[in-house]
Amino acid sequence: MNILTFKGGYRFKGFTGRAANKLITLDLPSTVRIPLRQGFGSTLTPKVGVGDGVKAGQIIAQDDKLVSSPIHSSVNGTVTKIEKVNYFKRSIDMVTIESDGDPGYEKLAGATKEWEKLPNQEIEELIYKSGASSLNREGIPTSFKSSIINSEEVVDLIIHGISSEAYNASLKTLLEGKNLYNFVEGIKILKKIMPKARIHLALNSRKKDIIESVKKLTSNIEGLKIHALYSKYPQGYDEVLIPTILGKKFPYGYSAANIGIVVLMLQTVLHVYDAVVRGKPLIERILAFCGQAFKENLHVKVRVGSSLADILKDRLFTHFKHRVVLNSLLTGVELADLSLPISREFSQIIAIRDDDLRRFLNFMRPGFHSDSYSNTFISQFVKVGKIATTNLRGDQRPCIQCGYCSEVCPVDIMPTVLDRYIKLGINETLMRFGIFNCIECNLCSYICPSKIHLANNLKDAKTKLIEAGCDNSLCILPKFNLKGLDDYKGVKNLR
Amino acid sequence: MLGILRRILDEAEKIIKKTPILKNFFPVFEATDDFFFATKKTTRFAPHFLDGIDIKRFMSFVIIALIPATIAGVYFFGLRVLLVIAISYAAGGLVEVAFSVGRKKPLYEGFLVTGLIFPLILPPTIPLWMVALGASFGVFFGKEVFGGTGRNIFNPALVGRVFLSLAFPEYFATMWQKPFWGGLGGFVKFMPDSITGATPLINFKSTQDVATWPCLLMGNLPGSIGETFRIGIIIGGVLLLLVKIAEWRISLTYIASAFIVSFIGHIFLPESFAPPLFQILSGGLLFGAFFMATDPVSGPLTHQGRWIYGILLGVLTILIRTFTGFVEGVMFAILLMNACAPLIDTIIINIKFKDIPQVEEA
Ligand code: SF4
Ligand code: SF4
Repeated sequence: MNILTFKGGYRFKGFTGRAANKLITLDLPSTVRIPLRQGFGSTLTPKVGVGDGVKAGQIIAQDDKLVSSPIHSSVNGTVTKIEKVNYFKRSIDMVTIESDGDPGYEKLAGATKEWEKLPNQEIEELIYKSGASSLNREGIPTSFKSSIINSEEVVDLIIHGISSEAYNASLKTLLEGKNLYNFVEGIKILKKIMPKARIHLALNSRKKDIIESVKKLTSNIEGLKIHALYSKYPQGYDEVLIPTILGKKFPYGYSAANIGIVVLMLQTVLHVYDAVVRGKPLIERILAFCGQAFKENLHVKVRVGSSLADILKDRLFTHFKHRVVLNSLLTGVELADLSLPISREFSQIIAIRDDDLRRFLNFMRPGFHSDSYSNTFISQFVKVGKIATTNLRGDQRPCIQCGYCSEVCPVDIMPTVLDRYIKLGINETLMRFGIFNCIECNLCSYICPSKIHLANNLKDAKTKLIEAGCDNSLCILPKFNLKGLDDYKGVKNLR
Repeated sequence: MLGILRRILDEAEKIIKKTPILKNFFPVFEATDDFFFATKKTTRFAPHFLDGIDIKRFMSFVIIALIPATIAGVYFFGLRVLLVIAISYAAGGLVEVAFSVGRKKPLYEGFLVTGLIFPLILPPTIPLWMVALGASFGVFFGKEVFGGTGRNIFNPALVGRVFLSLAFPEYFATMWQKPFWGGLGGFVKFMPDSITGATPLINFKSTQDVATWPCLLMGNLPGSIGETFRIGIIIGGVLLLLVKIAEWRISLTYIASAFIVSFIGHIFLPESFAPPLFQILSGGLLFGAFFMATDPVSGPLTHQGRWIYGILLGVLTILIRTFTGFVEGVMFAILLMNACAPLIDTIIINIKFKDIPQVEEA
């Protein structure tokens, strides 16, 4: 099979603490807190009040006028509190619901195994009502304003299961047993509501068995193409995925939906299936617990709104300090406040050692557990499992012009040159060197032997440039025919 | 054991911070402390984990790669070589310390490499005072006047060496010693008896004699301290290329273009152009290609720039060797190209990132 890839990037290989192929369902939480902004979409206002009884799966917030998807209660019980909470740097309403211990949920009306007979409108309604339409960076377009474009406008639909981070949810677990068939069924559903779209399935080239079985099952879907891709970071980013698969240029700074492309993750397709066939609203997520600080690395099924403290209880080692990070070690946010609930967007929780030991003669050690772009560590040859910790691994130094950062940058700009110009002053020169092309993958910061915060400096400069009134729309807009610009507000998924 | 060392360092820190005069020397302490114990700092924002490599490890690998050449240098030219290396480190290190104390800036690792490369490209008879002079001159004018590590346009070791060869040409024209050969060689002797011979390149200039390649590879012919044992240089150099510390593009194009230019030249002017294999295996070409041209700070940053840099280096080296009064072209070629590197980069970057397209008003 022909394997596609892109220039630059870096393969994270052989880290210890990857989530094993094991899935458990966690106990029903006694209380949940549901943030009223989850996934792609605006912040909603609650439709329930304190003291109301709610059912699991009941919609507690919905607004058909805003770009958004409904949000559900994830347990049966009573609303006890509605308050403004600072959730990922945004102040949003959070609904607290006390559970009555009943694990059942309300099915979506109209869901059926024979979905093929339903009109598109009803299928879209099911997807929208289930909340699945808010997942991933652009959401799933339906006729209910769940995304910035309509389903007819979709030219290409990309579904990807590329695990390019150091820690990923396991494809095997997600597609275990019947889920594989459900996944294929989910693709067919999406195909029906986006009739004009060509479907591209991007899978990790190393998972040959999965590719083979998916290939067999999807052979009768018209216009579906399977692409095998290297699991090279940041292949899973829209900005990298689209040029790799479609050979198209990406309007950096905008979203894929603006050029009529929708990118969905594998788990999203499963949620679509659940919604349309089984009538299950998006009240549960599968999370991968990764990293060395977990006693056991596995996958768990949890209700949306469970607090982090609850689901992590007794699962982390306590004899060393750790840091808990959401979704990605390279770009994710630190989950410092464990009282916060989980939302639909969570897919990995990574806990690594917060390593502030001063190791003796660290730079001379053979490095059985170190990961590096250079080949200077023995871990390149002897595979005993690399360990990710938060240690800086060296002191900050002036740039030595090694060129690593330009080599790995997936969008082919030169971080060190930009960094040098940023020091000279923030002005339009930076735009000439493509500062707005930076997709904030943070790979250059990771790789730099001088430990310079390249990506962070670039990001700051970008913000300052935009504040000063420079932005990249001048370079982007004339070259692309962007759709849905009125609704596009630079909304981005949590990474 | 470690606990004791840690405690000594902690106590020393307290004393240094309290004493006004010693306070100025804090960078020296800091460097020592960082040398023994790695940082305890952790990442403050994403990315939450970082690549294992740091500048200390980066530089240590260059030193590891230089070990075969250094040991061979001692074997060929006696234990005095060790003294030369020590003096180079001491003199250059002093300048470095003086600057970091004066600027109140931390002490960086760059000198660890310069301090070893510099003695290896000197002739074995070099008087010790000259080593000290050259090392401090190189660090001062090659690096510190430009603003320290990371800003230097020129390779400091080469600056020192070129300064010495221009100021004291007699030491570089005739005073080449025959290396020890056989038995324990220089491991048990202080320095070779003063039998002088000419380096293979000088020989070629005067008599058109070409040394055989096994001799050149083994290095038992007169030459600079660390440049003669070419098997060791190749092993060390290839190690550097494999671990991605040195840039293969530069080394490869340098050697290849030197080969091609001398191959063509030798066909047309066999008297002045030495044969290609001899060119590559003599003088400091291999040492330069693997250890000096690949110095990332003074070389270009872009890949395309590195191809051009390597090619021009090869061409220049052979032309200087053939058509000028200097027998050895490597040093001058590298210094000259060091000076051109920023220009090459600027051109490449300007071609790559053309102006932002101006939007025409409708
Ligand atoms: S963060 Fe930006 S500059 Fe750095 S590697 Fe990623 S895209 Fe390139
Ligand atoms: S990786 Fe770091 S040291 Fe290397 S060129 Fe980029 S900024 Fe400079």
